[in-house]
Amino acid sequence: MSDNQKILVLGVGNILFTDEGIGVKVVTDLEKEFSFSPNVTLMDGGTLGTILMGPIMECEMLIVIDAVLGDDKPGSVYRLTGEDLRKSLAFKDSMHQTDLLDTLVLCDLCDSRPDCVVVGIEPFDYETMCEHVSDTVKVQLPVMKEKVLEEVKAAGGSFNPL
Amino acid sequence: MSGCKSKSGPAVMATPFDKNYSGPVTVDPLTRIEGHLKIEVEVENGKVSNVWSSAQLFRGLEIILKGRDPRDAQHFTQRSCGVCTYVHALASTRAVDNAVGADKNMPTNARIIRNLVMASQYLHDHIVHFYHLHALDWVDVVSGLQADPVKAAKLANSMSSRVTKPEDLKAVQTKLKAFVDSGQLGIFTNAYFLGGHDAYYLKPEENLIATAHYLEGLHLQVKAARAMAVFGAKNPHPQFTIVGGVTCYDSLSKERIQEFKDLYKETKAFVDECYIPDLLMVASNYKDWAGIGGTSNFLSFGEFPADETDINSRFIPQGVILNRDLSNVMDFDPNSIKEDIRHSWYKGESSLHPYEGETDPQYTTYEDRDRYSWMKAPRYKGESMEVGPLAHVLTAYARGNKAFVPVVDSVLGTLGVGKDALFSTLGRTAARGIETAVVANAMEEWVDNLEDNISSGNTEIAVDWEMPDEAEGVGFVGAPRGALSHWIKIKGGKIENFQLVVPSTWNIGPRCNQNKMSAVEEALVGTPIADPKRPVEILRTVHSYDPCIACGVHVIDARTNEVHKFKVM
Repeated sequence: MSDNQKILVLGVGNILFTDEGIGVKVVTDLEKEFSFSPNVTLMDGGTLGTILMGPIMECEMLIVIDAVLGDDKPGSVYRLTGEDLRKSLAFKDSMHQTDLLDTLVLCDLCDSRPDCVVVGIEPFDYETMCEHVSDTVKVQLPVMKEKVLEEVKAAGGSFNPL
Repeated sequence: MSGCKSKSGPAVMATPFDKNYSGPVTVDPLTRIEGHLKIEVEVENGKVSNVWSSAQLFRGLEIILKGRDPRDAQHFTQRSCGVCTYVHALASTRAVDNAVGADKNMPTNARIIRNLVMASQYLHDHIVHFYHLHALDWVDVVSGLQADPVKAAKLANSMSSRVTKPEDLKAVQTKLKAFVDSGQLGIFTNAYFLGGHDAYYLKPEENLIATAHYLEGLHLQVKAARAMAVFGAKNPHPQFTIVGGVTCYDSLSKERIQEFKDLYKETKAFVDECYIPDLLMVASNYKDWAGIGGTSNFLSFGEFPADETDINSRFIPQGVILNRDLSNVMDFDPNSIKEDIRHSWYKGESSLHPYEGETDPQYTTYEDRDRYSWMKAPRYKGESMEVGPLAHVLTAYARGNKAFVPVVDSVLGTLGVGKDALFSTLGRTAARGIETAVVANAMEEWVDNLEDNISSGNTEIAVDWEMPDEAEGVGFVGAPRGALSHWIKIKGGKIENFQLVVPSTWNIGPRCNQNKMSAVEEALVGTPIADPKRPVEILRTVHSYDPCIACGVHVIDARTNEVHKFKVM
């Protein structure tokens, strides 16, 4: 791993559906609270698909922040690495054109699939239309941010509080 | 309610292979679209006899917008859809422009920049739709492995001015084979061509050419997206539109405009040298589809205004066509739109103009065929209307539009078919390509105009305006997917009511109060089904609308397969 590899921190999800917006929320918070080394880019990916291929293919390490359904209690924080993602999620159940996993396969087809890690959280509610995350997920925000920063550091990025 | 995510892959009822099949076929969810859509059809003697198009996701955006600052509407509406962020941002901005009167003083540069970003969106969306969402309904990717690369290159060179080398196509085969062998067919997993299918007609060489461009298109769409970002600033969620103009002051430099020009030209070359020839190649093999999947009525809001206040100034013209009568294009009348809810999951049986629209959900059941969709049923003078590229192209053609007529005639001539062929699934897919080529042609002049204005010292891109206490306004957008309108009522400087009537509600909504089918329901009636277990014919017509259910539920589901434990806290 090179010290200067390009890192993309990508928060994904729909900010209109309560905890589904957690990825975007974490990225927005981190942007406000920290300055990052030039090899780190933070991005609000929303629910976009192929349109994210440009920035994804430009990076060597992709850190995705999202809601994850892992059957643990709401607020549980998960870490999924590239190979595990591949095994556990495959692609057969994807139903959205914009599925992030489909997007990664398309990057693979373009020979530019970065390494990927997902920092995720079990949502309490991802169905109610509301632009704020639930209290259950909100109390875990500091943990989420800490985990993401650990990943950034491990990947060769650095940061300072603003 | 919104997140009724299916826990399994697309399910198709297990029915025996039977060309004269009678019975039900359900496709749920349809893949390669944005959102969650269930299509149920009844088949009689191998042909579709009845259809229910059921959108399974609730959009309650209207509720969340009440009481907010009208300027904030665009930040919410652009999140209502997973992919078409800009078109919603623009529709919301135009609605407020219209309500507060800022459209009357819109700076020329702001208008051009909005148009250029929209045009880039057309190019991006239509290329991705043709190659990455729709092509698999026509192209058997795996069959390309059997192709002779030398023959395929010869064929490609006979269709396009671009030089295709056999070794490049050989490389595509190698890559494809590695992909197939790795068992990671992934994106093709749900494709009905796997294992061979009677309804796929292309030769291996043709399949290989299309597959090569599928891969090239993946790289190309990245550049088309980057073109949008030149003006769109905070990619990928545009924040450059404001009431009264745009804010992308940084994009007015020579360098930035040159960057846009370079990206645009490369995209245009791909459209002319790959998209259009491939479209003609597919269409000439599937002429039976020029008689399947047509509808009767068409509505276009037009797009790319020369004057923000004048809908008649739009490059793609507005208009209404009823009963396929191209000799009688009518002007579109904003007062003639109503949204019915008799067959939707809302309370009551109202039929209301969007300014008066209500959003009061009441779900029944998944199996219900009386109330069966979260979409309302928009109607124009009581009629179901098709919107989108075919509506744009038909309106322009019927009006004798100079930019469109030669391209339409050339495509019809090459295929050796008449105008009637346009009223079909094939016509809809061809119209999308025609529209892409025509818009790409026009963009050069627009960007030149912008450059001239800037070099002559005119750098104004926004005007001041005042929020009225009470007002109403509408933003009409001719989005790549079709007629989009946002309707706002302002009271006390806040949003009192906000309604969105989106292209896919027109195209794939449910029946209306008069029990008239939506466009896609009408289009599917009569469709032949070769294999009820793999009804690719349904997908062809549904995908030809490029439907978007605006769901945006995007949760990684780790429960679907081998379960691993990833918990760290």
